[in-house]
Amino acid sequence: MTKPKDEKGNENRKGQINKGKGVDIGTVFVKCAYKEGDEIVFKSQRNAFFDVEHTDFTKKILDNSKVKYIVKEDSLYVVGDDALEFANMFNKETRRPLSKGVISPTEREALPMIEMLIKSVIGAPRCQGEIAYFSVPGEPLDAEFNILYHIKTIEGFLETLGYSPKPVNEAHAIVLSELAKEEFTGIGLSFGGGMVNVCLSFMSVPVFKFSVAKSGDWIDQQVAMAVDETSSRVSAIKEASLDLSKQGDVSKIESALSVYYNHLIEYVIENIKQEITKARRLPRMNRPISIILSGGTSLPTGFSHRFRKILERLKLPIPIGSVRMASQPLRTVAKGALVAASADESRR
Amino acid sequence: MTLSGTEAEIVNCVAVVKQATKDRIGREVGFSSEYIGFLCRILVRKGYLLFSQGRYSLAEAGIKALPSEESGRRDREFIKEVAGELAREIRGEMKRTARGLRRPVSAGDMKKETMMGSTEEPIKICTDYDYPVEDESLALESNIEKIGTQVGKENSGDMDRTVRLLKTIHERGRKK
Repeated sequence: MTKPKDEKGNENRKGQINKGKGVDIGTVFVKCAYKEGDEIVFKSQRNAFFDVEHTDFTKKILDNSKVKYIVKEDSLYVVGDDALEFANMFNKETRRPLSKGVISPTEREALPMIEMLIKSVIGAPRCQGEIAYFSVPGEPLDAEFNILYHIKTIEGFLETLGYSPKPVNEAHAIVLSELAKEEFTGIGLSFGGGMVNVCLSFMSVPVFKFSVAKSGDWIDQQVAMAVDETSSRVSAIKEASLDLSKQGDVSKIESALSVYYNHLIEYVIENIKQEITKARRLPRMNRPISIILSGGTSLPTGFSHRFRKILERLKLPIPIGSVRMASQPLRTVAKGALVAASADESRR
Repeated sequence: MTLSGTEAEIVNCVAVVKQATKDRIGREVGFSSEYIGFLCRILVRKGYLLFSQGRYSLAEAGIKALPSEESGRRDREFIKEVAGELAREIRGEMKRTARGLRRPVSAGDMKKETMMGSTEEPIKICTDYDYPVEDESLALESNIEKIGTQVGKENSGDMDRTVRLLKTIHERGRKK
């Protein structure tokens, strides 16, 4: 067993590792996890903004109502959860600094916005060059964009803030957070806003990792088109009350959501099958492996049951044991990144 | 150290505007603010510009690089000379092409140049370089800090054990 180091080292008297931060930079939320004594603290910010009329009066009202805003030159933007409420009120769409898991190429305010949101959750480093692992998506199988610019920009920004940044694949972070008992062997699946990320890990080493550029936003857009609603409203309904196990007495929107959830799950499983078949030398797995489901799009009641049903029908070419939800589906990526950061910090 | 055309234009623009955001420089110079931001970062590194509170201003090297009236006159004459030479070259090139003298590139040459169809190892591109990114959010005004972010806490449970197990597995892997 490792001996606890003194308080000058990276472990304190109780053997706790309190340095290192994990940052989950997702299309919908930015989250940061760090340890404080016996607790893990999670700071979170919704990754959305909405422009409102810029007057001193509006600013005062927003200040008094504790609505978060950002002013850039002549524009005033409501940010975070309130942006979603404002968008629904005005029957418009929110704007996002990230699209499909990476810095949005079409959003002109993307960079300063994402920097502001990251800074608000991560704060200052607690020691010089504190290690911060940040989540990045896998290379998309079904889209023509490259993730290098996104990774280098976030990395460069965290360095500017005084951190030693390191990227970690989003789905791999799920494995690090949830599969310690299985020696970090299994499949992590992150159903985020812009993408679904997949990683098959063996003894903590990723065998393959990829993403598909269809996920929660894609479901919202398809449903919105099918029932003539705005994506923001569909998203609000999906997040507030969708129950995929419900049979009968469902609204038109719920019914369309159910159809597109089925489509997305099948699409992801088919892509995993294809990647396993393509992988030339898979490590020998002695026992069935677990699948961990996580991310905001996996939150509706009945999601894991639906996933299991479709998996039974489509079958993967490797033995699968349990299929379960992550203990905290919205925090698990940040926590996994924190595990990686703490391990690195304790090695220094 | 010489400046490229656009870099020189940026330095001139900042000299006129005094303190400018990259959006303003982009509008003046006629390029996207992302591209201007990229060039400005290089100019800050080279010591031509200073960056503070989201705005660029001239640094010492930038002031020295500003064209004097005399050098401007000399530059105009030089440009005239080069443009004349270029026009003569293009005219000659066009004549040669019209007479069918241009040799088509063979498939073999193309393979040599582009590595297409080569059985050699694929090219590996190093991505382990520093890409400095400025904190552009410094130019923004916000009440986020005042209101605060959403904070949640959970017991760390056996996270320390997870971290140690991960370390052990990595060390075991390294020894193998």
